[in-house]
Order: sequence, then structure tokens, then C-alpha cells
Amino acid sequence: MAVDSTMIRITPAQLRWRRFKESVGLIFASPTAVLGLVIVLIWVFIAAFAPYLTHYTPYEQDYKNINKGPSAQHILGTDHLGRDVWARVAFGARTILLLAPISVGVAFLLGMVLGLPAGYFGGWVDELVMRILDSIMAFPTILLYMIIISAVGASPVNVVIAIAIGGAPGIARLIRALTLDIRTREYVAAARLRGDRPVQIMFREILPNCRGPLIVDLLLRIGYAAFYIGTLGFLGLGLPPPTPDWGGMVQEGHKFMTTNVWPVLSATVAIVTLVVGLNLFADGLREETMRYQ
Amino acid sequence: MARYIIRRLFTMVITMLVVSIIIFAVVEIAPGNVARNILGAYATPEQEKSMENQLGLDRPVAIRYISWLFGSDWQAERKIGRPLKEIVIQQGTVERFRQWWAVDEDGSLVRWGIQDGQLYKYTRQPDGSTVGVPDEGAWKTDENGVQYFWGVDNANRAVLWVKGQGSVEYRYEYSGWRKFENAPVDYIPLTKGLLRGDAGISLRYRAPVSELIASRLKNSGILAALAFLVSMPMGLLLGLLAGLNEGKPADRIISLFGLVTAASPDFATGIFLIMIFSLWLKILPGATVFASSTAILDNPKMLILPVLTASLVEMGYILRITRASVVEVVQSNYVRTAILKGLTRTQVVLRHVLRNSLLAPITVIMLHVNWLIGGLVVVESVFGYPGLGNFILNAALYKDVYAIEAASMFLILLAVGTQLIADIIYSFLNPRVRYA
Repeated sequence: MAVDSTMIRITPAQLRWRRFKESVGLIFASPTAVLGLVIVLIWVFIAAFAPYLTHYTPYEQDYKNINKGPSAQHILGTDHLGRDVWARVAFGARTILLLAPISVGVAFLLGMVLGLPAGYFGGWVDELVMRILDSIMAFPTILLYMIIISAVGASPVNVVIAIAIGGAPGIARLIRALTLDIRTREYVAAARLRGDRPVQIMFREILPNCRGPLIVDLLLRIGYAAFYIGTLGFLGLGLPPPTPDWGGMVQEGHKFMTTNVWPVLSATVAIVTLVVGLNLFADGLREETMRYQ
Repeated sequence: MARYIIRRLFTMVITMLVVSIIIFAVVEIAPGNVARNILGAYATPEQEKSMENQLGLDRPVAIRYISWLFGSDWQAERKIGRPLKEIVIQQGTVERFRQWWAVDEDGSLVRWGIQDGQLYKYTRQPDGSTVGVPDEGAWKTDENGVQYFWGVDNANRAVLWVKGQGSVEYRYEYSGWRKFENAPVDYIPLTKGLLRGDAGISLRYRAPVSELIASRLKNSGILAALAFLVSMPMGLLLGLLAGLNEGKPADRIISLFGLVTAASPDFATGIFLIMIFSLWLKILPGATVFASSTAILDNPKMLILPVLTASLVEMGYILRITRASVVEVVQSNYVRTAILKGLTRTQVVLRHVLRNSLLAPITVIMLHVNWLIGGLVVVESVFGYPGLGNFILNAALYKDVYAIEAASMFLILLAVGTQLIADIIYSFLNPRVRYA
């Protein structure tokens, strides 16, 4: 047929590869995003290979060397219990790089369950969901985390739950707004006509088409989550000791800052670089997608 | 306009109601109940049970929620059959105690107690002392012939005594546990409720929460106001500079600075400032130690670092909004027209860019109180500053439930209230919002 000769056939695999190239191109178009990505990847590398990059475990205590500055044995010195600061920083990267994405993932699930029906059905479902979301958003974030953690206790799971509850309303609102727009599209009407159930429409038609803005938002939120995991640790509401946790290291070392600044300095630099890196990456990506659109 | 405000007020009331349910549910129903939190792991089951009864924690959740919000005195009045009255006793200048009394038929204030198995009625004298007389005639009898009496005891509780059936009461005092025989079998702790200004007694300080909050609120207010005074002009100025030089090196440096300060956790900023000014340059103290929590202005040097920390974080945020707003205005048609009609750069900036681009950041900052409160908690914790943020953090760490509940409700009301005011101001300026 005449049409066949002019039409370029694209297999799904090729389409996926093309989309992938486009998204990668998006990242490399923005120097900010590249800088952020490099910083984050350095931390991912440190976290992944922590046992090979350190000579000590983060728990080993060396009673003869307490609160010492950097030396050949301990490149970043030791903390108040004689633990190697570099080992605690490297293993602390694991903690935060694990918990931050997990809590954003849980927040995404919560936000999806609330936001999709609110946007799709509207009416009283929407009203009810929005009132609950407004109420949670009325809490200053840190305050919400403090109340939850003080009630249920500090543990990795509880930190994830608290941060997910704090992040879910924002994600739900975004998904709701996107759903309100997408549900008026023809392909949703088509799905309805062929008799798809609302659940199928929400998850097969609407959710995949929220992807673009949602991914950028989730990336930004990983930065926030890292920010708050560090802050909770600093406030003494994070992971219970002796887990290597950057916020907790600052909290513990704060008292000894006048004698040994290294544990606090290392942990602070670590958290700032990671959070700023995540922000640069997500921010650069957001600006690039906005220009792209 | 009036309709818009009423609608917003109504939503705000609903939001606060849901917020109160969330706070109450999370704090009191969550695993690890209140009595355990207060008593720690070493209390015996009897002690824990007695404590729960005394604090009214064995009553249904709905009743406890209502008592917390609307008070329990009217519930107790029905049982006692007399009106109840709360009096405030001034001791010295600061220390205050609140006492609950029942009002007798002749208008005098009375309480009851059990002595040697006998019911005594204590009448309050004008000088504050009490005179006790036996009041055995006050016992009531129920259908089973059991003699009982609802009264007010000396620890601000409505209590139920049953004759010959006293339970054992454990009181947790400074010296440790004290055991009382012939104690009441049921208690209703008397409170006016949060909505009527009674936030309860702090489990940690044994003082009314509302007064603890008031003194710290002033300190936090000073910190926030100073931070605002520093960050606002600086943020607007830097944002304007960056926005006018979009894409140039000046913009890049300022923007990066803004992103780093806004993205860094507040505690990290504080720690860096302590390292630079306190440990390295040794010109400023790295912590705030005040003679008393009311005398924070006596030593202004101690305020510099906390204020600087709070301002830096806030400034990064203001800077970024201002820059975005300026960039938008600079590209607008009226600015182009102004340039084309031959105005000088200064005139364009002052007359057109500045005015139009400052509106957005100022409104956004009003909506930002929520975030500022969270920042204050951290900044106050870094420097040990005696403010509301530090108070609520310690309450959370100590599980001082009444303090957490009241302080959170207060802070959220503050945040929601300012948001409402900002919305109303904004809707005056921008009529499109009103009809949305």
C-alpha cells in the first residue's frame, strides 16, 4: 500500500529506546542537572561500595582513640566513642539513600490512592479527600514528623511512615490536578465506552499519562525526604543509635564540637552535598522539561 | 467578598477540627499509651492502672476527645449536682496554680475528702485556708443500697467515693510513688478544655501548658521577627539583582547561593555558622545561655547566630521567588514599552519592575509561615534557644502529651490563620480569586 512505503514502522522496543534517549538528552541539556547527578552518583557509589572503601565497620569502637582528628588510620578522625568517622559517613550514605527513595515510594502509593479517585470521581469523594489533605498540609512538616515519631517511637520503619504521610498530600494534589485534566481526553472517553471499569481507567489510562510531571516531582521529593531524614536525626527523632545516620552524627557530635569538629563537619558536609545535589538534579530537570514543553 | 471570607472561615474551622482529631488520635491512641509514656517501663500494673484511672485515660476515646477540646467540668457538674468553679491562685509574681472547687448552696467554695473512712467537707476561707467538717449526710444511696458520693477532691478532679469500698490510689510525686488507701473508685480530671483556654497541665513542668507556651512564644516571636527583618530586604534585593541580570555570572552566583541556602537543612546552616564564627573566628557564642527565659534581649550577641541561621534559610527561599518574579516581569510587554519609550534603566527598574515583581514574593511569604515554624524548631534546637520550637521538641522527646497537643494546635492555628489573612489580602488585590 502507498501508505506503507511512506510510514516508518517503529517497533515498541525502538520506541522505548527513543524515549529513553530523549530523557537522557533532557538531563544532559542542563548543566545544573548534570552537576547534581554527578554529586548524587558519587554518594550512590560510596553507599554501594561502602565496605570496600572503609577499613572499619561503623560500629567498631577504638577506646584508645576517642575524638581524634584525621590521621593515617582514620582519614576523617574518630568520634566520641572512637568510631571511624569516614566509615560512619560512608555507611550513613546507605541509610539515607535507602530510606529517602523508599519513603517517597510509600508517599507516592498513598498519594496515588487518594489523588486518583479524588480527581476521577470528583463530587463528595473529592471534597472528603481534599479536606483530609488540607488538614495534613496545615501541619508544619517538622511538627507533623515530631508528633508521629514521638507517638510511635524512632525506628527506620517509623521514619519512613512519618515522611510518607508528610509527603503524600502534595503528591495526591498533583495527581488529582493531572487527573482532572486527563480525564477529559478522548482516550479516557474511549476506554469508558468500551466498558472499562473506573479502576482500570485510572491505572491504565490516567496514571501512565501523569508520568512526566510526576517523575520530576518525585525526584524533588527525594531531596526533601533526605532533608527531613537528616533533620529528624539531628532532632534526636531519627534512627536509634548506633545506626550510622548523618543527622544523628551531627546530634551526637554537637556536644563535642569544641574539642573535635570532624564528626559534625563530615556529616554536615555529607548531608548538604547530597541534598543540594538532589535538588540541583531535580531542579535542572524541571526547568529543562518546562522549556521542552 | 463577605461570602468569600465566610466560606474560607468555614473551611478553616473544618480543617482545624480534622487537625485536632489527627493530633489527638496520633498522640493518645497510638501504641505505647499515655500512662506508659509518663511512668516509664518500671511501673507495676497496679500503679499503671491507678494512674490511668486518675488521668481519666480509661474513659472512652470519644469522651476524652470531647473533654480535651470542650472541657470536662460540665460533665462533672451533672454528676456532682453543684456548679464548679476554677480559681487562679497567684503565688509571688510568676507561679500560678489553678484550683477547682464546687460552689455550695450558700456560695462558698467547697471540696471533699475522706478521713478515717468518713466523708469531710472542706470550705475555703477568704485567706485561702480550709476548714473541714464531717459531711456524712451527703452520701447518696443507689438501688443496691451502696452508698456513694461524687465530689471534688484536692487534686482538681471530680471523684466518686463508694463507702467501705475504697480502692488503692498510687500517686506519682517528686519523691516517687505514694500509696493512698480509701481512695476514690472513679475520677474525672477537671479541665475547661482547649477551646476555653485550658490546655492542661504539663506532665514535665507540672505547670499550666498555656502559660509555658506564652512565655516561650514571645522568645520565638523575637527570633522570627529579627530573622524576617534581616532576610526580607536581603532576599528581595539579591533576587532583584539576579533577576535583572538573568543568565549573567552575577545571576548564576546568586542563584546558586540561593539554591544552596534554601536546600541545605537548617541545622547544617547553623552548624556551619557556629564553626565559622564561634570555633574558628571566636567572635560569637555558639549557643544561647540566658539567665532566665525572659531575659533574652539582655545579651544581644547571643542572638546573632540564631537570627543569622533562620534568616539565611528564609532568604534563599525569598531570593528564588523574587528572581522568578522579576524575570517574568522583565519579559512583559509593559516593561518593553517602557524601555522603548526611552526611560532610563533606573526608571524602568524602579517604576515598573520593582513594583510589579514584589507583589508575588510578599504574598508567597505570608503563605510560608508553616515552613518558618518548622525552621524555628530546628534553629532553636541547634542553639538551645528558649523558644516555642525547642519547647515542643522537648515535649515530643519527653512525651509530654498535653504540651505537644496544645502547642501543636496553637502553631497550626497560627499557620492556618495567617494563611487565611494572606488569602483575603490577596483576593482584595486580585478579584479573579474571589470567584474561583
